This record gives sequence, structure tokens and C-alpha cells, in this order.
Amino acid sequence: MVMLSFPHIKKLMHVAAIGALLVVGGGGSTGAKAAAPAACAELQAKFPDWKGKTLVNAINPHTPGYESIDPKDPSKYIGFDIDLGEMIGECLGFKLTYKAVAFAALLTTLQSGQADIVISDIYATEERAKAADFITYSKVFDGVLVAKGNPKKITGIDTSLCGTAAAENTGYVEVPLIQALGPECKKLGKPEPTIQLYDNNANCIQAILAGRADTYINDVNTVDNAVKAYPDKLEKAIAVTIPYQVGIGVPKDKPKFRDAVHAAMVEIHKSGDQLTLLKKWNLDPNNLMKPGLLIVK
Amino acid sequence: MELFLHYLTMPYMIEGIVATLQVTALGLLGGLVLGVILAWMQLSRFKALASFARVYTVIFRGTPLILQMVFAYNALPQIGIKLPAILAAGLALACNEAPFIAEMLRSGVLGVDRGQVSAGRALGMTPGVLMRRIIAPQAIRSMIPAFGNETVSALKNSSLASVIAVQELTLRSTQMASATFDFFSIFFASGLIYLVLTAAIACIQLFLEWLFDLDRASKQIKLMRMMPRYRVQGTDDPLASADTERPEPPPNAGVAELPPSRVQPERGDRAKRAETLARNNIAVDVAALRKSYDKQKVLDGVDLTVRTGEVIALLGPSGSGKSTLLRCINNLELWNDGTIKVGGRRLGFNEHGKALSPRLLAQARAEVGVGMVFQQFNLFGHLTAKENIAGPLRWVHGISRADADRRALELLARVGLTHRADALPRHLSGGQQQRVAIARAIAPNPSVLLFDEPTSALDPELVNEVLEVIRRLAVEDGLTMIISTHQLRFASEVADRVVLLAGGSIIEEGPADQVLNQPRNPVAQRFLNAMAAEIA
Repeated sequence: MVMLSFPHIKKLMHVAAIGALLVVGGGGSTGAKAAAPAACAELQAKFPDWKGKTLVNAINPHTPGYESIDPKDPSKYIGFDIDLGEMIGECLGFKLTYKAVAFAALLTTLQSGQADIVISDIYATEERAKAADFITYSKVFDGVLVAKGNPKKITGIDTSLCGTAAAENTGYVEVPLIQALGPECKKLGKPEPTIQLYDNNANCIQAILAGRADTYINDVNTVDNAVKAYPDKLEKAIAVTIPYQVGIGVPKDKPKFRDAVHAAMVEIHKSGDQLTLLKKWNLDPNNLMKPGLLIVK
Repeated sequence: MELFLHYLTMPYMIEGIVATLQVTALGLLGGLVLGVILAWMQLSRFKALASFARVYTVIFRGTPLILQMVFAYNALPQIGIKLPAILAAGLALACNEAPFIAEMLRSGVLGVDRGQVSAGRALGMTPGVLMRRIIAPQAIRSMIPAFGNETVSALKNSSLASVIAVQELTLRSTQMASATFDFFSIFFASGLIYLVLTAAIACIQLFLEWLFDLDRASKQIKLMRMMPRYRVQGTDDPLASADTERPEPPPNAGVAELPPSRVQPERGDRAKRAETLARNNIAVDVAALRKSYDKQKVLDGVDLTVRTGEVIALLGPSGSGKSTLLRCINNLELWNDGTIKVGGRRLGFNEHGKALSPRLLAQARAEVGVGMVFQQFNLFGHLTAKENIAGPLRWVHGISRADADRRALELLARVGLTHRADALPRHLSGGQQQRVAIARAIAPNPSVLLFDEPTSALDPELVNEVLEVIRRLAVEDGLTMIISTHQLRFASEVADRVVLLAGGSIIEEGPADQVLNQPRNPVAQRFLNAMAAEIA
């Protein structure tokens, strides 16, 4: 298991913030336009099946920065993933509507055909790839959210978690990572970490505020936002990498659609639009990676 | 506070209420339809339907709603049924509510007094009419509070639809909380909205309870009394009856209410009358009737022939089988062996000896015309005295409303209750109730009238008024009657023949004065002595 801390991440966030300021002038959530019209026109010719269609994007809109409702106009969803989805749609010629479901229901919604695509900050794991094919597009940095002052001295997903209570969302990849610490804790003669499972970020953050949980480990941006909302009560103990990539989920029985989305992602990465988007949403440019595929037979 | 008001009035949240209400309405209406079907299956006499309903109930009552929602949303598409989220949530909620609503319906139906059901059947009502006119109106009244509860619980349960992407209030609240971190303002706002909705349901429930309250009219009168220029209406007014009725016991024990009796035709001496009766047609013919509950023999080979116009007094200790015999004659109960013919017809069986369905049996009962008066009166509790008589005439015999009302008023006059025509049974004394019940039984001109201990449930001072009515029916109308009674004097005065039943068999039978005064059977002697001692 690779676990690195990123002491330089704060500095990078500042850089990202400046970048975002430059972009925000460009407009709202749909302001992100595909910068490679020629390549997209080619793709539309190659993959004509979805041109003019309206597809359903299943999201778990509880992660501000990636996907959440717009507090100013709650009928809209905003965030990096939302813009990215629209960009892919624009490139391939389809429009998106959104279906808000529980995190654990994202892939089942896709499998049952109630949604066509899942772009919702979901980490592509081998386990999940049994339910959907993934087009990976971003590295993962997790933040460790703790109460102000870090009373339990938590230093990451390591034995400092022994005997603490971690709040997590049902279905999150952090859950098995924390569970895997059990034997190590035992070796040290310490109690295992306990996990409280919730339904969304809001509940996990509340668990720390209410003193029920000691930590909530999730995507670093979510953790930063929580700290911003409760600067007197919360802090980020540390940022860690975890060995996953974020992926776009598509149905396993539609390889053509998977290839089309992958091809579009490659164009969006190549044109620099993906980086622009990261900056627009105040996200760490270190997340950027060349799109890949995770397919499990 | 400002944030709280902001979220309370936010159109986004208001739209969430619409989705919440849609899911609730779908769940309740669908649940009601399914619940009616389920309750009908459970109450059905066909075992297979009842067991199917049981299995359904076990499954849907025994699994969490949240699983059912996910199933309707994510599993049904696997077999090609892809419902929009709101419909999927409504379907799951309906399927989940159905067993609960079915149980409410079932207990409401079973809660209606069995005696009223017997009375309805005896009047020849088909199961459909009985359900529509007698059971449902009373069951619905008793079910309103339970329905109120169920509606509130459905409304709250609709929040589980948030797991399958229905944009209802709870889902919108959590999304808003995730986006803004304003947890408490948002959840207080949505909590208040839920409270307002459930309070509205409570108000509707109270209104319906008021609307269906049988005593509503009299409560209005109480209010109107306080108004100036109040004039007495012809409505049922229990207050008035409580105040004015029976300030002192009437001089001749309630009989004063009855109109003067018609000129009594000379009955002639008993022997001559017996001779005439013997030449009349056979009205009721019971042959070798046997019936047992489990291993207990209730009727053990009863033979009884009743001629048209004859009055039979059926005597015997409690548990001797008197009631069972009467109920068998009217086919309210099945028997094990033997035949019963009324007017030459085997009631309850077709010409090939096959048992009739409840519907056809009801029709046969109405055609043959066997009236029955019960110990517990069994008036329909939600109908006025007049409607108790007129209603069955319209529903069973298809008589017009005007004619039925005329007949009802005429009969009420005969039993001396014109002034109580619009009273509900519960506002009548026991004697008055039984007189209405007698009027109801004779309204369709039955060929035979059965009385099952008509005065046993009455206070002693009310017995006379009822006996007097029966006496006049026997004397003035020449009706064929079988009366089970403990009133020896009455039996000796009115009955042409006394039949003494003990242990399920007839132990003594003959002209009234002979059986009552010179019984041959030793058991009969003991019983009659005991009865006479009690009277003295």
C-alpha cells in the first residue's frame, strides 16, 4: 500500500486558486467548452450512436467541488465532474440529465439501466470494475479530517487510527483500507479502528462535529471544504495518496460507448481543457493524469 | 433564523414537497386498491385466495421498505419494467402499505356486530348488499383513525424514496446541506415542513370523524338550542328523548305507546281452531334434523311440522337447541343431516340437492320469506328506525323509496313508534328496539316469522310492550310464527302448540294447555315446574 504525505499540497492549492480566479471570469458551469472541435467532429463521425441523444448521469451530489447542487440555483448541479461530463457530451454530441442517488447505489443504478453513465468522483477499483467499465481520469489524494487540534494525533491511514472511530460513507474505498489496519493494530496490542457508515459527506462531517467520530478520510477537496465551513472546529490532519484513480463508470455491455467516452476523454486531456477545469474548481493540478481504462472480465 | 426562513421558503424545497406528496398519494391510493383486494382475498371462503394473501402479507410486511424501493427501482428493469423513479417509489410504497391497509379493512369489517350481519342475511341481503349497505358504512367510521395513522406513516415513509433518486423533501434537504454545510437550518426547515403536512392530515382526519359522526345532527341541535328562534326539528334528538321520555313509568309497562288494538276476531275455542289449522298447508317441515359442533350434539333428530297460520312456542332450557333450530330453519347455519322445507321448498339447496352460493341463498331466502327476530334486536346501528325497515325493502325487494318509506311508517305506527322514526337504535330503549326489529321482520310480508327469545335481553318492565306486539301479530294478522321463549304464560295464551326441546330432541309436544299443565315426560315436568317457580 503506497501512502505518501504531501506537505507541498497547500502551496499547490494556492496556485490552483489563482488559476481558478482566472477561469471563473469565463462563466458558469456550462462555460467549459470543448477546445478541439475538429477532433470531436471526427469522434462524432466515428461514434454516431449517441449524437443528439440525452443520456442520464447518475451522481451522488454531496461532494462540493466535484458535484453538488448550486446553492444559488438548486435546480442545477455544479462541479468539476459536472463540467467534465458536459464536455464529453459536447464532444460526442449528447446532452446529460442527472439522477441523484446514494453513493452505494451509483453502480446499481447504472447496472439496472436507470442511468447511462456515472461521473461522480468514484474511485475505480477492481471490485467495482466487476459492475462497470471505468475510464480513469484523475489521481486520488485523500485528506484526513479531524477535530480542531487533532486530539487523537491521527497521522494518516496508519496505526495512528488504532482505537479511533472513523466516519465513512457506505461503499467508499477508504472503508477496506481502514479495516485492513486491524491486524497491525492487534500486533501492537491496540484496539482495532471502528468504522461508522453513513450515507453522505454531510453526515460524516456531522459525526466529527458531534464528537461521535474522530476522523473522516475522503477526497482532499471535500475535506478542505469542510474545514473552510467550520474553521474553528475542524482541521485537516494531513493529505495522503491512496492507490486508486477516479473513473467514469459505463455499462459493461456497451464497449462502443466506453470507447467513445475514452476517446473523448483523451481529447479533453490533450487539449488542456481538463487542467483548465481543475483550476476552475480550485482542485489540485496534481490530480491530472492521462486517461486510462480499467476493465475486469 | 434568517437562514432557516430562507430554506423554509425556498422554491427548491417547496418543489420537494410536491414530490413527497406525489409519492405519498401513489402509495396510499395504490395501497388502498391492493389492500381492498388483499382483504377481500383474506375474507374469501376460498382457501387458496386466503393463503395467497397471507403469503403476500408475510413477504411485504416482513421486509424493509427501503429494500422494496431499491427492488422496484433497480431489479424490475431486469425483467423489462423500467418505471420512472416516482412511480417506482409509489409502487414500492403501495405494495408495502397494502398489507397494513388490508388488516385495517379486515378488522373494520370483522368489528361490525355479527348480529347485524345475521339480521341482514335473514332479511335476504346478498353478500354484496350486506357489504355495501350494512358493513362498509359502519366499518369506515371505525377505520378513520387508523387511516389517519397510516397516512402520516406513508408520508414519512416517502422520505425513503430518496435512496432511489426521487427528488423529494429529504433528498433535497441533504443535497442542500452537502452543498452549503448549513445542516441545522436546513433540517429544521424540512422538519417543520413535515410537521405542517402531518398536522394537515390530522385536521382532515378530525373533519372526517366529525362528518361521519352519527350523533352529529344532535350535536348541531345542541348548538342551535343556544340560538334564538330555535324550533324543534324532526331529527333524532337523544337529548330530548333523555329529558322527556319516561318521566315516570307508563301505567301499563310500555304498552301505552302502542295504538289501540284492532277489534279482536273471535278465535273460537281452541279445538275448533286446531281443526282448521290442521287442514292448512304445511309452512315449515323439519325432518330428522341433526347438527353437532365438533363432537357436541346440538340437534339430535328433530321432526317438526308447522301449518300455515299456526303459532308454535318453542320451550326448553338454555342450550337445548332452540336457537340452533331456528337458525337452521332460516339457513343461517348449516346442519349435518336431515331436511328442512319452507313453503315446500328446500331452502339453501337447488333442485338437485346441491348447496347454493351465498348470493343465490340470499335470493331464495327473500323469495320464500322467512323473517327473524333476534334476542339482541340486531338493528343496523347506523340507520334510523325508519331506515332499518325501509332500507331492506329497497335493497332486497326493489321497492321504490316512497313506497318503502310509507310501509316503514305504517309499521312503526303499528308498533307505536311513529314519534321515534328518525331515532338511531342506540337512542331507543331495548323494548323500542325490539319493536322496530319486529316491524323490520314483518315488512316484506314473510310467510313464516321466527322469534329467537325476543324478550330475554330486556329489562323486566320492557317485556310486556314486546309481547303485546307479538300477541297482536298472532291474533290480528294470523301470521305463522315459531317463538322460542321462556314466558310460559305468554306461550299458553298465544301458542296453538307448545314444543319442548331438551338435549337436542323434542321431548313433549302438543296443544299449549295440555303440554303446560299435564306434561307426560318427567324431564318436561321438572323443567316446567322450575319455570313456574321462577315466575312465582
